[in-house]
Amino acid sequence: MATTTRGVSAPGTSRGGGRWYTTRTTNLAARLALIAVLLGIWQLLVVGGALNKDAFPTMSSTLAALVDQIHTSACWTTVAQTLEGWGVGVALGCVAAIVLGSAIGLSRFAYRSTIPVIEFLKAVPVVAILPIAIVEFGTRLSMKMVLVAFGVFFPLVIQVIYGVRSVDPTVADTATSLQVRGARRFFVVVIPSAAPFIATGVRIAAATGLVIEIVAELIGGGAGLGQRILAAENAGPSSLPVMYAFILITGLIGVTLTGIFTVAERRTLRWHESQRNIVSRGAS
Amino acid sequence: MTAPVTPQVKVAPSEPATSSRGRRIGPRTTKALISLGSLWLFALLVALWWLGSNNSHSSFFPPLRLTLIRFRQLWLFADVRTDLAPSLFHLAIGYAIASVLGIAVGALMWALPLLRQASSPVVYFLYVLPAPILIPAVLVLFGIGASMSVAIISFACVWPILLNTLDGMRGTDQLKIDTARSLGLSYWRRLWSVVLPGASPQIVAGLRAGLQVGIILMVVSEEVGSTQGIGFFILQAQENFAGTDMWTGILVLGVVGTVLNVLFVAGERFALRWYYGSRAAARER
Amino acid sequence: MTAVGDGSAARTLVLEARGLHKSYTVDRSDHLAIADISLEVAKGEFVCIVGPSGAGKTTLLRCLSGLMAPSGGVVLLEGSPIVSVPPEVGIVFQDYGRSLFPWLSVARNVALPLKVRGIPKTERTRIVGEVLSSVGLGDVAARYPWQLSGGMQQRVAIARSLAYKPELLFMDEPFASVDAQTRFELEDLILRVRNEFEVTVVFVTHDVDEAVYLADRVVVLSRPPATVKMVVEIPLSRPRDQLVTRADVEFAALRGSLLSLVMGH
Repeated sequence: MATTTRGVSAPGTSRGGGRWYTTRTTNLAARLALIAVLLGIWQLLVVGGALNKDAFPTMSSTLAALVDQIHTSACWTTVAQTLEGWGVGVALGCVAAIVLGSAIGLSRFAYRSTIPVIEFLKAVPVVAILPIAIVEFGTRLSMKMVLVAFGVFFPLVIQVIYGVRSVDPTVADTATSLQVRGARRFFVVVIPSAAPFIATGVRIAAATGLVIEIVAELIGGGAGLGQRILAAENAGPSSLPVMYAFILITGLIGVTLTGIFTVAERRTLRWHESQRNIVSRGAS
Repeated sequence: MTAPVTPQVKVAPSEPATSSRGRRIGPRTTKALISLGSLWLFALLVALWWLGSNNSHSSFFPPLRLTLIRFRQLWLFADVRTDLAPSLFHLAIGYAIASVLGIAVGALMWALPLLRQASSPVVYFLYVLPAPILIPAVLVLFGIGASMSVAIISFACVWPILLNTLDGMRGTDQLKIDTARSLGLSYWRRLWSVVLPGASPQIVAGLRAGLQVGIILMVVSEEVGSTQGIGFFILQAQENFAGTDMWTGILVLGVVGTVLNVLFVAGERFALRWYYGSRAAARER
Repeated sequence: MTAVGDGSAARTLVLEARGLHKSYTVDRSDHLAIADISLEVAKGEFVCIVGPSGAGKTTLLRCLSGLMAPSGGVVLLEGSPIVSVPPEVGIVFQDYGRSLFPWLSVARNVALPLKVRGIPKTERTRIVGEVLSSVGLGDVAARYPWQLSGGMQQRVAIARSLAYKPELLFMDEPFASVDAQTRFELEDLILRVRNEFEVTVVFVTHDVDEAVYLADRVVVLSRPPATVKMVVEIPLSRPRDQLVTRADVEFAALRGSLLSLVMGH
């Protein structure tokens, strides 16, 4: 008996169709309506004086600035600078985490030895080493890169280790009985089992990396969106619309990056889930 | 015919661990020895750091020896009140606000599907927006000081908590809801007694993620716009070329991060006893 | 088509279903699970519902118990149409592991429906103790469900459903997830508590042997879209016994005819 979860947790059940509008259009309409309402409230609050004009730009001026900026090449250069530090840092951190994590996960001795160190270092907020990076690397790309890589490495390596170590015992026994050993076992059994954990970890790493990149720019003075926004803040109230425009741009970058990695993660998870469901569905 | 006698099967107790000299050690001691043994790498790294920096004259990589001395001078416990306590206080308040709001609004979004559908793009956008980017804006709004820190900490922490609450509630086993209905629980009773407890492991995961974000924002908000706190201390030390001070600040952050993590995990283990117990039981089957 | 039984005693109907049908859309195509089902359950009866796999037994049970609203037809509980799950109804699910609440102890799980009905604490404790003893679990009140074996967990679930003395108990393949030996114990348990609590039972199962052993009447469903193929009276004597009843010649005959009905010969 498989109770197909119809996903309705509210009391009662949903009746079938028959309406001229679909749920999809209602949702889309509701979303657009809410966004419009929020933007309207924003405008009203500033124009009406509830929010101080010197501290808060109007919605209209912000959107105008946004449209303006998108058409300048300076804006995209700034974006590229941020993406540069983020991209290299995340890539470095991920490669290091996957390689080291696999090695550590496969060796019981290495695992026991390194786990206390890694757990401790992970608990240290990466912002703590920000000053050291500034001292060592100045405000160059390498400073941002190193910080991002560090920040990304520790949580991800733990994910990789966990993934490598949680191969289903039945799967492991099957592989042993089929004489699958060594490198082949690693690539054919271990990595696919660990893939969902790694995919989730990489997605989180991408998001964390962006936060650290921004921090590096804000405090370390590295080139990019963070620094640009700080410059706008220092330029006084007339630059407020530009500042908020860049905040929106940063948000959109975040949405795009996270979106790409989430799609990739779902692809990996889908494979894994469907594998697991096939095994467990036999009982019903 | 007499009933068959079932043979008694004796299971031999597992051999206790023996040391190299053949004496028997109890299981507790074995565990302690294993933990100690796995700290060798830790000890080795610290030793390397000590020896490697011992003869250093650089102002930014002082000998570990001097750093530790300075640490004791400053942080045990003189500067804690002036430099660390305010930061932790801001973190506590911001985190508390975010927790209450995050869980409440998350539950509300679960209960009102139209609200959830309508707001999900906005919520998602605010969730992936890197919170530090808002610090300059919040600075303009609130000025330098405590309210700025608390505001940005609250803002940053609320999203992971909210989304994990929502996700945890949405993932409620439909069978549990059917059972609750069969037992006569009303809608709100179901939400409170079944959906929320069932979601609590994931809510706790969200709380932990929120805490980590909060710590980052605590430090960064002070480094960008404050005249006190641990973040400010570290940055100022760096700008004033006070290397040992800077390193003591880093150590303090390390300790704070570790202690908060340990406290959180302990609290989690206690509150979610049932969850860990049931997972362990399921694994054994 | 019903095989008419005695019919002399005035039967109070606890449950009545008239013209039930249920269809739902899966991936944009309509699937008719239940075509036209009418049945009656008298007070105190033990009715089993059997049918081929995927016949819609569970769907039928969900409609009868109020968990699911049918697409058409009506379900009456003691004469009145039901709306959602009536408070006089108890339901025991197959997957006890997911039905019992792991964050509550056994005692708290069993006490929950009593709490909801406003019964004061001392009274609740007494009832919980009594009903746990009835199912043979007098000493595990403080434990957690996941600390118990499968059979014990299902007993807890049964106790929880009986604690508030329902009129009607629905059971959805409740013993399908336990081992054979435990299944026999639980079958006898449910017969015993049925007498002790004077509750009417509607029991869905895929196991024809089990149905014959337990039931007063067995409702056989057709392949989907499900209709009532036949209702068979089980005149075997009570109390039933695992060894004696199953060795009875009539048991084998009933079993054989039911099996051929289910398998569609």
